[in-house]
Amino acid sequence: MPKLARSDWYDLARDTNWSFRYVSEQDVFPEELSGTGRVPSEGWLAWDEPYKITYREYVHNQVTKDTTTYSVKNAFARSTLFEKLDPGWKSVILAHYGAITMPEYLASIGEARMGRFGRAAAWRNTATFGTLDEVRHGQIQAFFPYGLIGKEPRADWALKAFHTNDWIVLAVRQLFDDMFVANDALSIALQLTFTLETGFTNLQFLGMAADAIKVGDLEFGSLISSIQTDEARHAQQGEPTIKVLADNGQKDWGQFLIDHMFWRSWRVFALLTGLSMDYYTPLEHRTMSFKEFIEDWVIKQFSDQFRDFGLEHPWYWDEFVSELTWYHHAIHLGVWNWRPTVWWNPDAGVSPEERVWLEEKYPGWNRTFGRYWDVIGDNIRGGKVEATLPETLPMVCNLCQLPIVRAAGVQAGALASAAPLRHTHEGRNYLFCSEPCKWIFTQRPERFAGHLSLVDRFLAGAITPPDLGGVLAYMGLSPAEQGQDATGYAWAYGGTANGSGARAGRR
Amino acid sequence: MTAAPHARPLRTWSVFDGVRRRPNEYEAVTGHFHYHFGREPAPFDLDPDSAINRWYLRYREGSPLRGVDWEGFRDPSQLNYRRYIALQHDREIYAEGVVDHFEALDADTDLNPAWVGILGRLYLPARYALHVLQITSLYVGQLGPSAYVTNAAFFQAADELRALQWIAYRAKSLSLTHGHDLADSTVARRFWEDDPVWQPARETLERLLLAYDWGEAFVALNLVVKPALDALFKTGLADLAQANGDGLTAQLLRDSGVDSARSQAWSTNLARHATASRPGNAAVLAAWERTWRPLAERAVDGLSTVFGDAPKAVDPADVVAAVGASSAALRASWAGEPHTA
Ligand SMILES: [Fe+2]
Ligand SMILES: [Fe+2]
Ligand SMILES: [Zn+2]
Repeated sequence: MPKLARSDWYDLARDTNWSFRYVSEQDVFPEELSGTGRVPSEGWLAWDEPYKITYREYVHNQVTKDTTTYSVKNAFARSTLFEKLDPGWKSVILAHYGAITMPEYLASIGEARMGRFGRAAAWRNTATFGTLDEVRHGQIQAFFPYGLIGKEPRADWALKAFHTNDWIVLAVRQLFDDMFVANDALSIALQLTFTLETGFTNLQFLGMAADAIKVGDLEFGSLISSIQTDEARHAQQGEPTIKVLADNGQKDWGQFLIDHMFWRSWRVFALLTGLSMDYYTPLEHRTMSFKEFIEDWVIKQFSDQFRDFGLEHPWYWDEFVSELTWYHHAIHLGVWNWRPTVWWNPDAGVSPEERVWLEEKYPGWNRTFGRYWDVIGDNIRGGKVEATLPETLPMVCNLCQLPIVRAAGVQAGALASAAPLRHTHEGRNYLFCSEPCKWIFTQRPERFAGHLSLVDRFLAGAITPPDLGGVLAYMGLSPAEQGQDATGYAWAYGGTANGSGARAGRR
Repeated sequence: MTAAPHARPLRTWSVFDGVRRRPNEYEAVTGHFHYHFGREPAPFDLDPDSAINRWYLRYREGSPLRGVDWEGFRDPSQLNYRRYIALQHDREIYAEGVVDHFEALDADTDLNPAWVGILGRLYLPARYALHVLQITSLYVGQLGPSAYVTNAAFFQAADELRALQWIAYRAKSLSLTHGHDLADSTVARRFWEDDPVWQPARETLERLLLAYDWGEAFVALNLVVKPALDALFKTGLADLAQANGDGLTAQLLRDSGVDSARSQAWSTNLARHATASRPGNAAVLAAWERTWRPLAERAVDGLSTVFGDAPKAVDPADVVAAVGASSAALRASWAGEPHTA
């Protein structure tokens, strides 16, 4: 081994800051790509990454991680473990691959944005490794489902999804474009690495990996835990960035960017993780409810870490906390109802035992949500499945792009009015699901205004024929790809067995 | 869950519809990942007129380098992440072995102080130059029109950081026997900012940062400036180090030269691919090459003068000629015409 330790020479590899002579610094770091102009260049020299790694260490560590993860994949591919997985769990991973594989790859562009337009050499070097990490995450989360397409054709959505206009994809794509693809370096550090990765995904990936192992999905478990180790490293770019902002009197701007993205992160977590944890994961493998997870991890994380930097809870904190009891349940009903429009099979997850669990974790669930499922169950048992399928499009939010489900909030006692929030900008009317979504839009309307939601497109005649068939075609879903109830409605017949074999057999 | 009943099971991604040959792993994890290139009304799902959409529409979709099936381009090394990491893991084991070998011999102690002075002036400040190459490569990558281009540029950026870190390592290890200044950042920065031999290179590299059209950035970086600097350092300076009894510097530079050769292989392939797709691109590439060649030549002229000051000196004119020949050969490999000086 070379005799010098990393600490002997590391600083000499990140001291490449200088004053420009032949070009202007402003041209090298245009504000729309860099976002760092609020702090003078000397201020950025204090940027210090907490987690230090050299190129040598990086390639040596990563080759070991890759070898381990790909060998689990190879063993899994030779086995029949995938076929035996619980149907709800299969939905979890199909939804994950379609919604997350491409954003992971896109995050390499966000990291490269920081790697070029970050204002300190140390930051740019750290982001160079982050760029590689996200190429890894995009590629590995494409290659694993690629290996499944013979067994499960909808694994194809790992690549296909972002080439479509599926409504879930529209929501996820608009979010991640806002967060890191079409964003400046400073905002990416605060919104992607600090808010999403530190505040949410680090913890979620740990939880998901543990769940995967419990349900017997060793492939997904090893994949997710391997990715998480990279995230834990590159997520640390947020911390020094917020520190530089705070030390230079720009904390308020940091607070604004975090408030903006904390809400949006919550929305996408409610959609993807909320449904997975409380409805799709087999009952016997659930360790905590989604609400408990957010309370124990995300809220605690926010309190411990964010407040260390003098940040306040976002102004909408009470609304956020009160949504924990109802929002994702309403979205779950919506996704299940519009199941032909998603590329996985939504698991109703409301068998008698599961309802007991839901009522225990969410007191009042039966009163607010159970009664809808009672009607749906009656229709199914009465042979009227078509009555449980959608006929029209829901109203969607012009910011988060998700259905406006405020009626459920009213029934849960959390909201006073079911009416969507409205705003007019340059003669066009916009609808919002919540005060924070409206606030995010109105703070910087020029960022969002020209985007068309699915409903806007429908009304503008972009979807033909203007009926459900036309919508499904516009979303790129062939009949074979359209979601169905994950257990063939077993839950409506008292079917419980959340064990894989029993549920799969009921199909 | 019942598998959706497709007429035939998928052989590959449905997005690859119509491919004749079954894609390999590299293609399966690279092809059609840039769903956003050429998308209407804008690449990204914010307001089509928002800042970064405008930037991409102007500098990527709007580049004069156009009309190319970018999905048809292949990196000859066919690198996806895991192959890149495995490859560089092996290269770093090799480089560590080289360092071990010379450190066991305590080779730095025998270096001529005048030669160490050359290293301090030319080799150690090259960290700045490599950093510009690194971040410009990240720029080319983020603006790349397909993931085949983007990923090759991202790996190249990491290669620059690799080379930069070995110089940082050497700065420290040389300082242990030849004086603290060698590990003093302000000293290296003074050479980069004030030494006349560095100023043309610094000007070229500062200007390179403003080549925002992605096609121009690619040509300026990968076909002109980087190949010239690589020829100067990884061949010229490596030979000079060898002649002056500094085997370690020579071998580290040559090892890094393997990464440069890989860069040139994909870059010339991309240039040929662009011209084959649309013959009009030949003139576009040539115009940028003509713009950037004098800047690269001035950089090489400035730095070459230091070669004449080494204890075992090389005539700077010979250095300039060697770099010029290397650049001409590279140009002939993609422009297909003999270089006339
Ligand atoms: Fe990632
Ligand atoms: Fe990440
Ligand atoms: Zn909303």
